[in-house]
Amino acid sequence: MIKLERISKSFGRHQVLNNIDLKVSKGEVVVILGPSGSGKTTLLRCVNYLEKPSGGEISIGEFKLDCRHARKKDIHQLRQKTAMVFQQYNLFRHKTALENVMEGLLIVKKLPKEEARKRSIALLEKVGLGSKLDAYPSQLSGGQQQRVGIARALALEPEVILFDEPTSALDPELVGEVLAVIRKIAKEGITMIVVTHEMGFARDVANHVVFMDGGVIVEEGTPTEVFNHPREERTKQFLKRITPELNYSI
Amino acid sequence: MGAPFDLSFVFSFLPKLLTTLSTTLLIVACSLLAGVIVGFIIALPRLYKVPVLKTLAEVYISFFRGTPILIQLFLFYYGLPEVLKLVNLDMTRTPVLVFVILTYGLHTGAFMSEMIRASVTAVDKGQVEAAYATGMTSYQAFTRIVLPQALGIAIPVFSNLVIALLKDTSLAFTLGVMEMTGKAQTLGSVTQHFIETYIALALIYLVISFTIEKLLLVAERRLLRHEDQGSPVKRKFSLQKKASYRHIIADMGPGKGGGA
Ligand SMILES: Nc1ncnc2c1ncn2[C@@H]1O[C@H](COP(=O)(O)OP(=O)(O)OP(=O)(O)O)[C@@H](O)[C@H]1O
Ligand SMILES: [Mg+2]
Repeated sequence: MIKLERISKSFGRHQVLNNIDLKVSKGEVVVILGPSGSGKTTLLRCVNYLEKPSGGEISIGEFKLDCRHARKKDIHQLRQKTAMVFQQYNLFRHKTALENVMEGLLIVKKLPKEEARKRSIALLEKVGLGSKLDAYPSQLSGGQQQRVGIARALALEPEVILFDEPTSALDPELVGEVLAVIRKIAKEGITMIVVTHEMGFARDVANHVVFMDGGVIVEEGTPTEVFNHPREERTKQFLKRITPELNYSI
Repeated sequence: MGAPFDLSFVFSFLPKLLTTLSTTLLIVACSLLAGVIVGFIIALPRLYKVPVLKTLAEVYISFFRGTPILIQLFLFYYGLPEVLKLVNLDMTRTPVLVFVILTYGLHTGAFMSEMIRASVTAVDKGQVEAAYATGMTSYQAFTRIVLPQALGIAIPVFSNLVIALLKDTSLAFTLGVMEMTGKAQTLGSVTQHFIETYIALALIYLVISFTIEKLLLVAERRLLRHEDQGSPVKRKFSLQKKASYRHIIADMGPGKGGGA
């Protein structure tokens, strides 16, 4: 289980996250929604310490980290328990698809080369890229790159995978293939926190939906609760804006 | 001045000059090695923004970039022994070549550090973030992800620096070192065929520069093979590459790396 307690973050004077509490059970898919600038990316980046929270606690299973006195070793440990899929893919540009997936297994997990290779090939086949093992990122479409990114995250067998708008940099016709892969791994019980604007996807994949605005969690619940019976005015406004066709009852 | 021009002297001087080629190449190689090491040491505090060291590094770079190499040679050759005398170190027996390599090493180091800083900065920040997110330490992220990409970006600048260094070594003769230019001076004085010596000399420098440039171009292609593929995306990336090169040059300010 992943637990965020009172996570706060300020950039200078600007407080971007204000005492965020969030629990994610094993195997659960949590989707975070919210308007631009509400702090979704910042929250995700706090979970793996790409952004240093100003305060709060992060626990993953038995492991607990107090953000006020985090040591280098703790941060390193935290990052080994998490993986991230980036909006801009961020594949290692000088490595092939296969090498991208193998890198963490070799360098972080210290697996023997043959073992790492076998596992990475299996994962790339799983995301439908068995024929692109030796392609460099520059030779892959956005959708293909993002699927390599997902395979790279899966390879680490993390406790949780963090997705920051994994499809928003993609051409519309490529969104489907990436969402299909995420759906598939969600069904396998991988714990995930996903920031997305894909409402249809959020509806059928999420176990839990969180709506953020202005650096706080405004409302959370099951997809039905949040999408069909939102309680807060801000949530209703947001949903109306983003899915005008959605007909929720009040 | 001197004897009438005679082309045959150019050819007969070539092998004579080439006997001192090893000295020139020795200076270049040692200075380059020293330069890369010094360059890293100077670049690190600037990359990691270490307060006092960063300022020291900037002063160092300003000195070596802002003063003529000839004056730097004299300062080290005549000045350093005087300074070291104060701490009872006798340098009168130290070979001139040591001073020459020291000066060129420190000089090149200043330019190298700028090259290193600019090319490391040019690597996309997302690359390091992905490395951290994968669970790498900062050392692993630097050596496995940033450095290999920075190398590819740095090579065009590096190439210019090596050629500039090669040409600069011709000033070592002013301290009496018998490298190629020194040898040419001597040959010229003895035979009075100055023009022919300098033509031969120019030819040799030209061939070496050209070879270095081509070799490094091959290295660049290899290091950037991930960006340089024969697909439709190719044009986009070669544009991007040029843009990042321009960015480095702009970042380095006027200097040897940027010139040529
Ligand atoms: N490095 C930074 N320095 C200063 N301010 C920042 C930084 N990163 C984010 N912010 C600010 O923090 C706030 C939240 O940003 P964040 O990127 O987390 O929003 P978001 O919910 O992910 O938005 P979007 O949907 O546009 O991605 C914004 O006001 C942003 O300007
Ligand atoms: Mg965002």
